[in-house]
Amino acid sequence: MSIEPFNRLVKLAARAFYDDITTKGDNQPKSGRSDNRGIAVVILDALTRRQWVREEDLAKDLKLHTKQLRRTLRFFEEEKLITRDHRKEGAKGAKVYNAAVAATVDVLQNGKEGDDKIKMHTHSYCCLDYSQIFDVVRYRLHRMKKKLRDELDNKNTVQEYICPNCGKRYTALDALRLVSPEDEYFHCESCNGELVAESDKLSSQGTVDGDDKDRRRRREKLEDMLHRMEAQLKPLMDQLNRVKDLPAPEFGSLQAWEVRANAVARGANGDNANDPSKSGQGFGGTPMPFVGETKVEVAFSGLEEKGDIKSEISATPMKVLPPWMIKEGMNLTKEQRGEVKQESNMEGTSAAAGSSDDKKSIETEDVKNIKDEYVKAYYEALFKRQREQEEATKSLQEPSTTDGVDNTSTERHVGMKSKREEEDEGEDIEWEEAPPAGDNTTGNFKVDLNVLADASGDDNDEEDDIDWEEG
Amino acid sequence: MFFHIVLERNMQLHPRHFGRDLREKLVSKLMKDVEGTCSGRHGFIVAITGIESVGKGLIRDGTGFVTFPVKYQCVVFRPFKGEILEAVVTMVNKMGFFAEAGPVQIFVSNHLIPDDMEFQSGDVPNYTTSDGSVKIQKESEVRLKIIGTRVDATEIFCIGTIKDDFLGVISDPGANA
Repeated sequence: MSIEPFNRLVKLAARAFYDDITTKGDNQPKSGRSDNRGIAVVILDALTRRQWVREEDLAKDLKLHTKQLRRTLRFFEEEKLITRDHRKEGAKGAKVYNAAVAATVDVLQNGKEGDDKIKMHTHSYCCLDYSQIFDVVRYRLHRMKKKLRDELDNKNTVQEYICPNCGKRYTALDALRLVSPEDEYFHCESCNGELVAESDKLSSQGTVDGDDKDRRRRREKLEDMLHRMEAQLKPLMDQLNRVKDLPAPEFGSLQAWEVRANAVARGANGDNANDPSKSGQGFGGTPMPFVGETKVEVAFSGLEEKGDIKSEISATPMKVLPPWMIKEGMNLTKEQRGEVKQESNMEGTSAAAGSSDDKKSIETEDVKNIKDEYVKAYYEALFKRQREQEEATKSLQEPSTTDGVDNTSTERHVGMKSKREEEDEGEDIEWEEAPPAGDNTTGNFKVDLNVLADASGDDNDEEDDIDWEEG
Repeated sequence: MFFHIVLERNMQLHPRHFGRDLREKLVSKLMKDVEGTCSGRHGFIVAITGIESVGKGLIRDGTGFVTFPVKYQCVVFRPFKGEILEAVVTMVNKMGFFAEAGPVQIFVSNHLIPDDMEFQSGDVPNYTTSDGSVKIQKESEVRLKIIGTRVDATEIFCIGTIKDDFLGVISDPGANA
């Protein structure tokens, strides 16, 4: 299912029909200053590069005000170009969602569970509706042509009459009331003036000759217009023909789409590259736009490729990350370097575990398969630390295992993360920066542990508690 | 287009009609009241074809009139956009011509008359082709297509066109006399 021809169609249609759309109402005097014509095209183009996207994220990407974007989107919704979905999400849900290094669905469900307690926010999502766009554009072209043709043939047009004195207008449907007994003309109801057919009003006198000439002139104009229309819209019509037999990309409803996207992601996980996908989504805050079809295609290919794509894709999302997230990450880091990462991961996994246990099990399996040196080193470090800790080792045993899992996943991140870091600025690194830190810790770990042994142990416990609650 | 439908109406009957032939009186009054009227919803009521049922009468306080709910079958005529009708020309002027198809009046503006027909004023105003072979004047019968209707509560008015294939004069009563 190739989306490219349809995207081209959307772009052509946008330029043909929505080029001079201003979202500002006429009643708003300010519109003169902030002329936002053309923004419609920009938004449509941006949508062709996404699937379902949260509107706030889109607004940020486009550097638009959300209100302005919404207004345009509402217009598009009325034009039947896009479908929108609104749903309530708790602030925490969104947070977890952004933060967690887990598949979208799980996080989402987690968020929803939490919603009962926390304040709800309605988030809107939008998506192009390709099959409908195809129909809409076709219908629009058809109407345009039909209108011109009808005019041209003088077919099905209701003649209009106008009173030259008072400017009152009548249609042929009023003819019965207008006909006067004295002469053969129509007379105005209010001023009794002689009515002229509307097309004749340019000609000085409604003589038959003038009529004909006028009619011919009008005809020429219409023909010209029709020809110009056909010439100018030819690319669009060609594209329509090209797309005609192709199945339109169908994203389904937001929920369905999410489920599918996640299924794909999970499939990828099964292969090997589970962490990258997760991290990408976790990073994106809204995973929507970035699980694009590119990803779908590439998901099953090698790990390296995957990593690349992830880094590419996540480049955008990273900017989107809200500042409070960074803060949280920072705090944790200050408290305890080595643990930060674990904590974040714990959250993610716990979320996953909470919603679907099987998922977790799959994960662990994967992880075990993937075990590499980092993991081993990490394990060792962990165990060492644990032994050192004054706290009861048994209580830590459980967490340690989970930690191990998480850490492995983090390590997987590491590869990609490093790539990402190369590409992106330090600012983006908030959360996921932790992983690299974690890696470093594998090196520094012992030192850390020695210094902070007690504290880290405590923290571990705390974290575990948190996890259990969430689970 | 004609339809055979069932309509209902509350008939008020004067007490003087109460007697053996109450029912006949009721029906004849119904016909007198209803036939030839026009409602925007159903169109023109052309004829009553039968009585479905007559409900129980209700005596009105004060007047002695009795109200019967009557269900009756009738033929209605309702013109539609796009419909082809045959009509008789009733008036011709510079702006076009008027025609009647039964109860409905139709106006055909001069823009919807073929371009080769021109208006000839005079004793009998008419539209004629340049070769004089076709002439539209009063009493001509034309076949036309309805392109617009205006439906009021009690009135239906149409505009039509004869600028299409197979439309136009179907017989010339004056035989070009």
